Amino acid sequence: MTAAAVQVLGRLALSWLAVVTAAFVLLRLMPGDPVEVFLAQVNVGAGHEIVAAYRAQWGLDEPIATQFLRWLGGFVTLDWGVSFETGRPVAADFAARLPYSAAIGFGGMVLAVTGGFALGFFAAHRPGGPADMLSRVLAVAGQALPAFATGLVLLWILGVQLRWIDVFGGGFIERVLLPTLLVALFSLGSMSRLTRAGFVEVKGSPYYRTALAKGRSQAGALWHHGRAAGVLTLIAGLAPELTWIIGGTAVAEIVFGVPGVSERVVQAVNHRDYAILQPYIALVALWVALVMQGARFLRRTLDPRLP
Amino acid sequence: MICSKLSRRLAAAAIAGAIIAPATSHAEDVTIGLTFLASGLDAAEGSNGWALVSHGIAEQLFRVSREGEVVPNLAASATRNDDGTWTVELAPDRFFSDGTPVTAEAVAVALNRTGEANPSARATAGRLSFTAVDDDTLTVRTEHATAILPSILAEWAFPVYRMEGDAPIFTGPFAVKSFQPGASIEMTPNAHYAGAGARSDVTLRRIADGQSLALAFASGEVDMAFNLPVETLSMLETTGGRIVSFPVAYQYMMWMNTRTPALSDPRVRRAIDLAISREDLVTAAQAGVPATGAFAESYPFAAEGSLSHDPDAAAALLDEAGWTPGEDGVRTRDGEQLELVLYAYPQRPDLVTFQPVIRAALTGIGIAVTTQVTESPSDVAASGGFDLFLWAQHTAPAGDPGLFLSLFFETDAARNYSGWSNAAYDSLVAALRAERDPQARIDLARQAQEMIAAEAPVAFLVTPEWHVGLSPALAGYEPWGSDYYVIRPDLVTGR
Repeated sequence: MTAAAVQVLGRLALSWLAVVTAAFVLLRLMPGDPVEVFLAQVNVGAGHEIVAAYRAQWGLDEPIATQFLRWLGGFVTLDWGVSFETGRPVAADFAARLPYSAAIGFGGMVLAVTGGFALGFFAAHRPGGPADMLSRVLAVAGQALPAFATGLVLLWILGVQLRWIDVFGGGFIERVLLPTLLVALFSLGSMSRLTRAGFVEVKGSPYYRTALAKGRSQAGALWHHGRAAGVLTLIAGLAPELTWIIGGTAVAEIVFGVPGVSERVVQAVNHRDYAILQPYIALVALWVALVMQGARFLRRTLDPRLP
Repeated sequence: MICSKLSRRLAAAAIAGAIIAPATSHAEDVTIGLTFLASGLDAAEGSNGWALVSHGIAEQLFRVSREGEVVPNLAASATRNDDGTWTVELAPDRFFSDGTPVTAEAVAVALNRTGEANPSARATAGRLSFTAVDDDTLTVRTEHATAILPSILAEWAFPVYRMEGDAPIFTGPFAVKSFQPGASIEMTPNAHYAGAGARSDVTLRRIADGQSLALAFASGEVDMAFNLPVETLSMLETTGGRIVSFPVAYQYMMWMNTRTPALSDPRVRRAIDLAISREDLVTAAQAGVPATGAFAESYPFAAEGSLSHDPDAAAALLDEAGWTPGEDGVRTRDGEQLELVLYAYPQRPDLVTFQPVIRAALTGIGIAVTTQVTESPSDVAASGGFDLFLWAQHTAPAGDPGLFLSLFFETDAARNYSGWSNAAYDSLVAALRAERDPQARIDLARQAQEMIAAEAPVAFLVTPEWHVGLSPALAGYEPWGSDYYVIRPDLVTGR
């Protein structure tokens, strides 16, 4: 058991290191020099001397291997440096923004999972019925509609027409409500289709037919015998969705002006702010690895027959 | 692209719907929506200095007036001494927002700290050293000799502040009450600034997306929406608020790479300049005014008159240069076709909009144009890997023409993207650098623009306009100064 745990942890650490190393190199291969982008943005007519001063200040004048080792040492000791663009400590910036992104991402996912599971059950119970149709429409809409435009429509209806909430000026709950709905809306359809598939598979099984023959109602039999299968398929589909909880909220944060992590990262991409991008990628890589491993563990626990 | 169009249409529909409910404000105090916000309150870090001045929190010793002139602000005067140093006298009765007076010692401590920490404060004349002579007098020593210290001190990197522990205190018309990085700043009138009683509390709210900003204005959540997308204007005009458009100094221009065989001939460059209709570009962008030269017309050193549009004269110049029309309409010389690559960058969408207009204009005189878009304009421009390059640049951020005319056009300048070299021009700019008389500087700047126009290493195209939505509470507000002075002492509510 201990050996297996060490093996898993070792594999996670190596995967993480490979990803952050590749990201470090790829970021620096991106076209656009951070110093030039910054100087253009702030209208500083700088000569070579000032460009060199910024390079030195931001640590860009060192060999890339030195830069990487310095960054890695800082990251693991929680010294994440300061943003090129703002001069603010990166860790403090992330800490201030994380509650928004986490609330939007997790809130949206909880809504999507609970709503999607219920909708998937009813869709499987009555194939072709209203719940099935709704599930299908939401799944297609989630793929076909641009999230940005949908967010603007939500903003228009609830914030401008009905004026139910102060989208930009309200408190924490008001600020995250619409973005959370947007994130949920775009995952609800796929969640419900996944759940439906799990339940439908059970409907073809002998034990389900036996339960019906014993006189159980269709809904009761499906819930009793199908919910484990529904949960299993949902977990399989949920893991990739969870990996995008932080990154996937970017559109919602930008449309609704929420000061979250994703919105900051989009800004950092535009400014080639490596100091923000590198720890962000490292955190996302860690999160992805943990979620995938957690999902694998959960599925094995629920169904020991799985490899 | 489709998504972008769809989102624009939906936004337009959303705003149309919002017309039913005219824009009003919920509270007595004023809320202002901006696409940018100070990242922090330490004026020495990053570009905070810019945002803090723009927000009406901080001030410099000098500033740029509405008329584009450098005028005293916290300073009363600046005089150049015989040894090349400067003496700056402070204006009387100026205070930090905590009531402590602005003294020479406080200014020296702050600006020396900024000079140490922020390379942008060393960009124009190297490191500046400030020494307090008495309570109201400073001596300023510059690393490189300069004739324009007041203009340098009007740069965004030089706000005056006083550190109280880790907290900076400023002198502007508004003081910070609370600050949420990336989201909002709540401000209260600085009680120690003249006219404080006429000002209300102001909340600055960052709404990074322009379409969302327009909807926030339509919903009445903000009293001012600064820098609205042009496509939202026609709908917003009927919401009961006022839309004001104003010219900004981020000139649109097009570099011509004089190192390429075709563009090394000034006649070809002049022909290109003459073939472009600035009016057509303004129509395409739906905003702006044709440029007259390197600087927006509001500056005293802007070129006078208008830039010509004469396709016939352009064709004649190409004939004279030996480029004759081929069977397919494209001109050739010595068997080589006149084909050029025109770059733009998406960070300035208007420039991408200009590309087909310019291609059509140049095709009309027999020049084949291929368009390219790059995400990293500085890299491409610096590498010289282009023929024509559409560019946006604030050409006088500190109210002086010298830096732009030097940095982008002198033979060995760091940003001479066109590769142009003209000894007479270099001499003229050297004279401009040394000249201290304001009127003489204006004359030299205009002469420099004439020399540029004569050889056309660049075509100045359009002075763009930005758009501001104003609720009735701010009906009297007039925007000017691009994004350098958004919140000013004259921001007084009309309620």
